[in-house]
Order: sequence, then C-alpha cells, then structure tokens
Amino acid sequence: MKEIARRVVLPFFAVLAFFGCEKTPAPPGATPPASPSPAAASPASPAASRSGESTSDAEKALHIFCWSEYIPQQIVDAFSADTGIKVSMETYSSNEEMLAKLFAGGGNYDIIQPSEYVIEGLIKESLLTPIDHASIPNMKNLAPEFTNMSFDPGNKYSVPYMAGSVGIIVNTEVVQDDIKSYNDVFQEKFAKNIVVLDDAREIVSWGLESLGIPVNEVSDENLAKVKPLLEKWLPLVKVFDSDSPKTALLNGDVALGVVWAGEGAILLNEDEKFKWIVPAEGGHLFVDSLAIPKTAKHVKNAELFINYVLRPDVSAKISEAFPYLNPNLAARELLTPAQRNNPASFPTADQLANMQTFKDIGEQATKIDELVTSLKAQ
Amino acid sequence: MTGSDRPASSQAAAVFQRRPGLLAWLVLTPLLAWLILFVIVPTIMLVLLSLGEQKGLGTVYFTFTLKNYVRALDWTWLKVLVISVGYAVVTTGICMVIGFPAAYFIGRSSEPLRNVLITLVMIPLWTSFLIRTYAWITILSKDGILNAFLVSARIIPEPIGILYTPFAAVLGLVYNFLPFMILPIYTSVERLDSAVIEAAYDLGASPLRAFSQVIIPLTQPGIVAGALLVFVPSIAMFAITNLMGGGDPPTIGDVIYKQFTSGRNQPFGAALGCLLLLIFFFSLWMTRRQRAE
Repeated sequence: MKEIARRVVLPFFAVLAFFGCEKTPAPPGATPPASPSPAAASPASPAASRSGESTSDAEKALHIFCWSEYIPQQIVDAFSADTGIKVSMETYSSNEEMLAKLFAGGGNYDIIQPSEYVIEGLIKESLLTPIDHASIPNMKNLAPEFTNMSFDPGNKYSVPYMAGSVGIIVNTEVVQDDIKSYNDVFQEKFAKNIVVLDDAREIVSWGLESLGIPVNEVSDENLAKVKPLLEKWLPLVKVFDSDSPKTALLNGDVALGVVWAGEGAILLNEDEKFKWIVPAEGGHLFVDSLAIPKTAKHVKNAELFINYVLRPDVSAKISEAFPYLNPNLAARELLTPAQRNNPASFPTADQLANMQTFKDIGEQATKIDELVTSLKAQ
Repeated sequence: MTGSDRPASSQAAAVFQRRPGLLAWLVLTPLLAWLILFVIVPTIMLVLLSLGEQKGLGTVYFTFTLKNYVRALDWTWLKVLVISVGYAVVTTGICMVIGFPAAYFIGRSSEPLRNVLITLVMIPLWTSFLIRTYAWITILSKDGILNAFLVSARIIPEPIGILYTPFAAVLGLVYNFLPFMILPIYTSVERLDSAVIEAAYDLGASPLRAFSQVIIPLTQPGIVAGALLVFVPSIAMFAITNLMGGGDPPTIGDVIYKQFTSGRNQPFGAALGCLLLLIFFFSLWMTRRQRAE
C-alpha cells in the first residue's frame, strides 16, 4: 500500500515544510495590490509568467497539499524555475485525510485539491478564499461542462484540475462475456476473480445505481434496499484496493474489476487485452479542483500556480503523466490521438451526461462505512 | 547482581541502591520526555477523542459521550477484532514453532557461526517491510515467480491463486515478525548453562523431559518476550494483510484507519483504538502474571 509508505514519509515532509516556513513575518497576503497586470494579456508565453512576478506575494513560497500521483514533480519544478517561487508539496490519499490535516490547523497550505463534494462542504463552512478570476485568465481554456458546476456555481472558490470516472475493466483473455453493467461483473462465475475499490461510498453507489436510485439519496431506507444486493456482491470480490487496483489485474490475479478510470487508462495503454466499459447504469464522475484555503498565506502565488497548470502545454504534460479526463480543451488539442481516444480517459458526451457526481452526505458516511465493513466481515 | 562483590565493596553497592540523584534524573530526562510526549500525551488524546463526536466535514466536539464505546461493542466490530486476534494468534503460533528451533540452534552454535546466523536473521530488517512485502507480491502473484517455477517444473498444471488469500496474509505476517521471535529466544538460549542440561541427563531425564522441564522453563523469558513482540504488532498490522490478503476479511487496524479517513468518524476510531490498547494491556498483564508464578 503506497499510502502507508506515504504515512511514513509524510512526517518527514511535515518537518521539511516546517523548516520551509521561514520566520519571515507573513505579508498580509489577503489584500494584494490588484494591479491590472499585463500578464493577463499573453498568459501562454513563458515571458508572461516572468512578468507575472509583479502579482506574486512578497514572500516567494507556496505550499501545495495535493493528491498523491496527481501533480507531476517536473511541473512544479518548471513553475519554480519560471517564477522563482519555492514550492513545497505534500500529498494525501483521501479527501478526508486532507480535511483532517486542514482542521488540525497544520501545514499552512496555500493550495488544496479537494473533490467536488468536499468543495461543497468547505464552501458551506466558509473555509475557502474566493478566487480572483482576473489573475487566472487561463480559465478560458476549460470546457464549459466543467465550469459553473453545481458544487461551486460560477467557480467562485475552485478551478477544475482533472476529472475522472469509475468504470469496469475486463481482461478479455480470461473473460469473453459481453460485460455491460455492474450486475454483469458481480456474477457467481467470476467469484474470487474481481478487484474493486476499497471505498465504502463507491461500493454503495454501484449498488444504488443498479437499483435505479440516485447515488446521493443515501437515506437509511435506501441503504436497507441496497444491503441484500451487496450481501451477494461482496463475497465474490477477491481484492479490495483503492491505491493500485491495476496491480492485481496486471499480475493476472483477477480478471475484471471496478476501478478508477485513470487506472483503467494505464491498463489500456499497457496491454491490448484490457477493455474499458462505462457501466450501463451510468457510473460516477468525480471532479478534483484546485482551491485556496481561508488560512493561505500566499494567495497570489497560489493564483499564479493555478493559472500556470491551466496553460495548455503544461496541462497536456499532466495528462501524459496521469491520463485522467482533462477538462482543459486547449490542452486536449495538444494530446496525441491515442491519448485523446483512450476510452477510459475520455468518455463520450452521452456517457458523460449519464454520470452522477457525489454530494456531501454528512453523517450518512458513517452508516455507509458500517454497512460495508459488516458485509466484508460476513 | 551486585551481591557477589558486596563483601569487597559494600559501600559502592550501597551507592547504587540509593534513590536516583540529580545526575540520574538528568540522564533519564530524554527518555522521560520521549515517553511523556510520544506515549502518555497521545494516549490521553486518544482517550479524550474517543469521548467526542464528529460533525459536518470533520470538526470534533468533545461531548464526553460513551456512545462510541457502546457502538464499538456491536458484533460488527467485535467480529473484526476477533478476526484480527485470530490472525495474530496463528502468526504467533507459527513464529514460535519455526522460531524456537532456529533460535536454539543459533544459540548453541560455535561463536563464529552464531554471529553469521544472527546477522542473517537481522539483514531483512535493514530494508523497509513495505518493499519486502511488495517483493512477495511479485513472487506469489499468478504471473509471479513461484507459479512460473511450479508450472515449468510440472508440479501443477496451471498457475494457482496464492496471493490475496488469508494464507498469503499469514505468510506475510510470519515472514515479517519472525525475527522478533528469534532474537529474544536466542538471547535466552545463549545464556543457558550447558551444565544444567547435562545435569538433567546425568540424573536420568529423557531428552523430552530435559526439554520440557529444563530448557523451556529456563528460556521462558525469551519465549514470552518473543510472543509479545509478535502478537501485539500483528493484531494492529493492516499494511501486510491488505497488500497480501487483498483486504478481505477486514482487520481492526484497517477499520480504525478508515474511521480516521473515509469513515469520517475519528472519535469512533479512537474508541476502537482504546479497545485495542486494553487488549495489549491484558496480554502484558497475562505474561507478567505468568512470570510471577
């Protein structure tokens, strides 16, 4: 589990971050001089980011707290070289891990990377800094279906980074059946040949979808309806793994599974025997965005960075490293046809329209966790 | 210990038995600070957290409620605890069956051989256990080294699924914790006086009797220490059971970890953690009582 390696490494980085936060008296980053910068005119040229210095904070530092395996180090290094801003990056492997650290008050993060339902909650508890759109001209590169989404109307607090879905991956050398839906995956004949994400909310959402219940309607009543179905499904699973479900598939230990599309895209690139299927029930779409916490000390630097990763060439490089659904239209044009036609990375417009996104479900998350744990231990 | 040289320097012995002076406290300060900071304070925090409630996105309110403990005693969670204790008991048992003869052999070997063997036992500990666990994945997987060997040697007709089974999980646990069983037993065996064993034989004891009534009691401190060093960490271990067992069935360490993350219920995770602490104290108390007898 990579995530444990990270837990060991994390304190080390926490110490680094601590020393990174030099004793410089923090500048009042909240109210920067909002000079209409010439940078806005030509955002894509490297010269622009240099002239962007005028809009950076006095202290040239930036603390990023992001998902692991999501922002390539080379991008961060290039940003540092361009702007002279020293970046420290810490990673997490679940939204809740990020929240726990944010609430504990550690880190002084300038950028976080929450998923849609967490953005919704963070806005509700007014824990985010509004984003100054004037300093992020590259927002124009984003596809309209990923801006102005329901969790943050008008993108006041967040800028989409990458999106992705959850779907079915099949090793066609072992499984010749025509798999179309979650129900097709969880069949007796595939018993102990299945890998799924080790994520209670995901698992419950597949059950809800196959019963035709919207994924966010997680009332006690609906959970009771889903229970008998999951009671049949979960004993068929061989591996629960959210971190690297592709491992079990690549090694031949399982033949099919329900995994992140990013993992699926990598498998498709790796071997032609793998086939990606968007579940007939619709599937789940997630959108991870960049946001600036209320406690951030380097707001201007954060905005510079957000604008930087929205540059088409930069965003295309990110896609190359991590083949998720890139919401950046200008960057998509720079991708190779093979990258663009990867069905796991880029579902069709119809498929996209059928996918549901998660909303914050508050304390029901506890009940979902209990339900799945009890079924796993049955 | 100081008894033998007491006639010669009884005054010096008396000095050692005095209550610790300023210098002793000074020397102890780092240890005490470490204990307070990283053992006592976190334990108090854990207990306090277990009496709270989590609301909304992650804010914890200290309401001093016992409801987390009431919930923790539900069969759903107790069952997970039973599974984890089961893993730990089996692991400890296998480690003892393999570890005792190994430790005994090492302890009774000639000095040069002994040093080589004990180094060999410790060498794996120089690498992170995670890396070694990943190595096991490449060995045990269906396309892995072991299956390839067995198939090419025509021992089995086609690859079998070894990885992601409870067997693989126990294998991983035994592999990782075996040195912690061997080392303390080895220390006891090394101190074992051969004259005592010879005396047992001279007095007509059979090998079995000499083993059960002389060797075992004399090496018991090592056996108990080894058992504890294997049992306690293997209850809470979830990295190995998840990576090699496929996370099925769930273990208590995994469940607690999830309470602090996706389950969004830190107070409940803390309550489960406190239950686990109680089990540790109980097993410590059991071994102390045994030693007292």
